[in-house]
Amino acid sequence: MAKEGSGSILQFAPLQSSVDEGFWHRLSSLKLNKFGIDDSPIPISGFYAPCSHPQVSNHLTLLAESLLSDSNDESTMPSVIRGNRNRCSVPGILYNTNTMEGFHALDKQGLLKAEAMKIWEEIHSGKAVEDCAVLSRVLLISFADLKKWNFHYWFAFPALALDPPATLVDLRPASQWFTLEEAESVSTACNEWRNSSVTAGILRIWKLVNVMVKRENRGFADLNLSLVGEALITVQQGWREQQCVPNAVGWELNKGRKVPRCINLAKSMDPTRLAISAADLNLKLMRWRALPSLNLEILFSLKCLLLGAGTLGCQVARMLMAWGVRRITLLDNGRVAMSNPLRQSLYTLDDCHNGGDFKATAAVRSLQRIFPAVEAEGIVMAIPMPGHPVSSQEEKSVLEDCKRLNDLIDSHDVIFLLTDTRESRWLPTLLCANRNKITITAALGFDSFLVMRHGPGPFNSIPNLKAEMEDSLAAGMDNLVLTNTDGQHRLGCYFCNDVVAPTDSTSNRMLDQQCTVTRPGLAPIASALAVELLVGILHHPNGIFAEAEIANSSSGGNFELPLGILPHQIRGSLPHFQQMTLLGHSSNSCTACCSTVVSEYRKRGMQFILQAINHPTYLEDVTGLTELMRSANSFQLDWDDDIEVADDECVEL
Amino acid sequence: MDVLHWDGTLSAKDFRIGAFAFAQKWESCNLAFPPWSWLPCPKHPWLAPPEEEGYLSLEKICISRPNEEEDIDQISQIDTGEEETCCSRNEDVLDDATLVQSNHHELHYCDFHIVYSSTFRVPVLYFRAYCSDGRPLPLDEIEKELPACASKELSKKWTFITQEEHPCLKRPWYKLHPCGTAEWMKLLFLSDTANPKFEVVLELYLLSWFSVVGQVFGLRISLKISN
Repeated sequence: MAKEGSGSILQFAPLQSSVDEGFWHRLSSLKLNKFGIDDSPIPISGFYAPCSHPQVSNHLTLLAESLLSDSNDESTMPSVIRGNRNRCSVPGILYNTNTMEGFHALDKQGLLKAEAMKIWEEIHSGKAVEDCAVLSRVLLISFADLKKWNFHYWFAFPALALDPPATLVDLRPASQWFTLEEAESVSTACNEWRNSSVTAGILRIWKLVNVMVKRENRGFADLNLSLVGEALITVQQGWREQQCVPNAVGWELNKGRKVPRCINLAKSMDPTRLAISAADLNLKLMRWRALPSLNLEILFSLKCLLLGAGTLGCQVARMLMAWGVRRITLLDNGRVAMSNPLRQSLYTLDDCHNGGDFKATAAVRSLQRIFPAVEAEGIVMAIPMPGHPVSSQEEKSVLEDCKRLNDLIDSHDVIFLLTDTRESRWLPTLLCANRNKITITAALGFDSFLVMRHGPGPFNSIPNLKAEMEDSLAAGMDNLVLTNTDGQHRLGCYFCNDVVAPTDSTSNRMLDQQCTVTRPGLAPIASALAVELLVGILHHPNGIFAEAEIANSSSGGNFELPLGILPHQIRGSLPHFQQMTLLGHSSNSCTACCSTVVSEYRKRGMQFILQAINHPTYLEDVTGLTELMRSANSFQLDWDDDIEVADDECVEL
Repeated sequence: MDVLHWDGTLSAKDFRIGAFAFAQKWESCNLAFPPWSWLPCPKHPWLAPPEEEGYLSLEKICISRPNEEEDIDQISQIDTGEEETCCSRNEDVLDDATLVQSNHHELHYCDFHIVYSSTFRVPVLYFRAYCSDGRPLPLDEIEKELPACASKELSKKWTFITQEEHPCLKRPWYKLHPCGTAEWMKLLFLSDTANPKFEVVLELYLLSWFSVVGQVFGLRISLKISN
């Protein structure tokens, strides 16, 4: 667009580029599917429309249609250029390099000269008068980094420099320049240009004398805003010769500097980024339509530790991801066996070759395939268990495992106990009770299941072990949480109802007991309930200290909390297709979470653990269970191991 | 069809009829904006496109607030002094005739597409925003340009912005989620005491729909049209 200059030099405001996102999408697709490493120049078309904004001139635009269509891409439109706005096309050329170095190494002056030469030749040959579109050309150099989705690019709009420069003689609105008749015919001609496919650039110098600035108002040429002027050009002697090409200028400035531009489109092109924003969609819709109090932030930031990566572990991991949990650690020392993929939903046959991959690592891989942005970690480790004594050579590594488990529990917010034996849950339960971590247990029988949340540990806060070494027990007593604020006892853990210490349950079992055979439907049901229970805890104002509620048919649909009740235990039975919520308080003689045991652990640390592991009766002695048993036996009560279907009353020892 | 028992949705064919009615009314009465165009979106490009499949498009609407400091028309000599350039300095051509525009006024533009959703059987407003050089704008920057009161009100009740793949262009665009649309469209028409015929409903459907969703962007429809 020409404007009046100071003095009388006619100055030209350079064109500015605008690249529609679709252009980069099309270029990437062509590069990947068609061009490959071929970097020969590509013809492109730029588009220009008359100015419709009073202050800002229109840009030269590149769209998806600027590139020839990719015939493999079904969704591309046919090659008819959309005609919904004035769109005059400008021929151009694109040099897309394969590397960043190649991009910088392009001979920019040379390329510009070559394009200027084309214009010069067309002026000489007279083609420029027939079709003034060829007077403008677009030169684009680019480098598309298709790993990071960065597009480096630089436009040049080759223009022949006039030396000496042209001078402006007169400039007036078009309505004052033309007679009424002339005005009408110019108007019609301009409006017709819209529809013609062989349109000339509207703002051009033609005949090197008359300059017309066309401006639009609402889609029609506006003769009041458009300007017409007269300029004086000194024709150089050498111009008659075709070889004597005037100098060319035209590289686009980037904020005033002569450097290329860069645009990053990872957000709209990187599949991982797209997966992340799509993953949140369901949860956000849920929050908007059904559950306004849903706390997504807490779910996104939660760190979950899953002890066991079998039928329960795989399902819990998937459910957690569905709820938006991104940080998941799986611990398991086993390998994927051929029978596993059917019931353990993260594994496929590929994980079973060569003896089977470690479950922990295969599970992490699987989670990443489902959702690349998950932060999953796999730990291959065995959990030390009471009743499985360790020899003195093994002692050191077992102690290290204990320490490692302790550190893992410390660094996570929620721990799921999903192993396949009772005794493997003992040590994690103790460590979680010590740290007041949210702990959820799921356990399967053949056709029944248990899902429960452990109550808080016996102590309110973690004491400073060094300072309170001498009288830790006394100090601990002050902090004892036997009762919640309401005077209720704290809720129990998995072991609170037991009268015997956990011991070796795996040797001397029959085959079907060793293989933990369960009805396939149980694991998904129990895992799903475990995760829903967790979400309930997270949305309860008291968290781990929340009291237990029992499902009651009379409560109807009105719940205090939007997610419903928060039970302590859920026991289900498949034969009855029934499930019930139960409540169990903590026991003062619990082998895992009673205050005696936890303080012993705080006092003696790993030595206490070792003793519990190596001497099966130690725990019973410490907790007084031995004594209890003796006195009970003297009354000759018969202990029933089966847990009977109870009514709503608490089960207390 | 009896409007009383109508569920607020449209068939694909009705959408096309309604879309054209809307575009016509818009063009004749809404002077501040360019007209909507109908663009075909054939499911099978190799067949002759069936008449129904397409969407309405309104592009390059400037959504930037007016800026007080506008000095685009500064005239100055080209600065050939210190340039970090990949071009060799010797070959730079000194050109007094090139206008250097300092203080480029950065404007933001928005494209709107009204696309028919066959799942929800209602129109859906797709949009995206970008700068004058084509760089796309993320949602949080778009939201800065939107009229503050409108977007909060509406996003609570009727609308919800999500990012999904544009069904025709196969690129991520933002859209106002349609899952409440049928309900409130039905309410809009039922609250009208005169029991209108369905033909009338169809003619006014998109207009009424747009009068609600357009408010998120401050696009007001002049009263003339609603007569």
